[in-house]
Amino acid sequence: MIDHVTKVQPGVLAEGYKNLTNNEWYFPIHFPNNPNVPGVLQLEALAQMLTVAITTLKGNKGKVTHALSHEVRFRKEVLPGQKLILKTKVESWKRGICKGFGQGIVDGEIACEATMTITIPEILEQYLPKK
Amino acid sequence: MNNTDKYDKVFIDSFSVDKAKLEKNLEYNSISQWDSVGHMSMVAALEEAFDIVLEMDDIIDFSSYKAGKEILKKYKVNIT
Repeated sequence: MIDHVTKVQPGVLAEGYKNLTNNEWYFPIHFPNNPNVPGVLQLEALAQMLTVAITTLKGNKGKVTHALSHEVRFRKEVLPGQKLILKTKVESWKRGICKGFGQGIVDGEIACEATMTITIPEILEQYLPKK
Repeated sequence: MNNTDKYDKVFIDSFSVDKAKLEKNLEYNSISQWDSVGHMSMVAALEEAFDIVLEMDDIIDFSSYKAGKEILKKYKVNIT
């Protein structure tokens, strides 16, 4: 759900965008005569961008990430032909858990925003009690 | 608030349990709230409450309410 990453400060932020072409597979079905980007995919785009901010940290390249919890607010429909700008910030990164915030922006307006918690399980599991 | 109250409060707030459950020696993964993420949240809350940074081995060994009391002694946090 990301076309390009335009700015990264590992462990701090990641920004980029997704161009929504008319050919996106979901537009014909979401919805007929009223195509717009499903909210779950907007959230996925933000989560993927936050992941970029973490997997660019030294030692994290190529590591698998999982979502833990997200809270999202949708404010505006995202339509075919628009450019969804993705801006994410890391609020904390500790022991394999990242808490962060992201905004999806279209035509200068916030379309969606989310607080997100993601993890790199390989790191998190190193800190768990063995039972 | 003394150390014991602070310690209990971290558990009660992190896992939404009552004090009676703590006294039965709550253990990692014995309730759904004390899972991997709950564990890290609880550790972070303890670090903030007592202004300490737990070492990796201590986080791993922190497998129960009771075990945690012993571990925190290393950090000069005495809990009765």
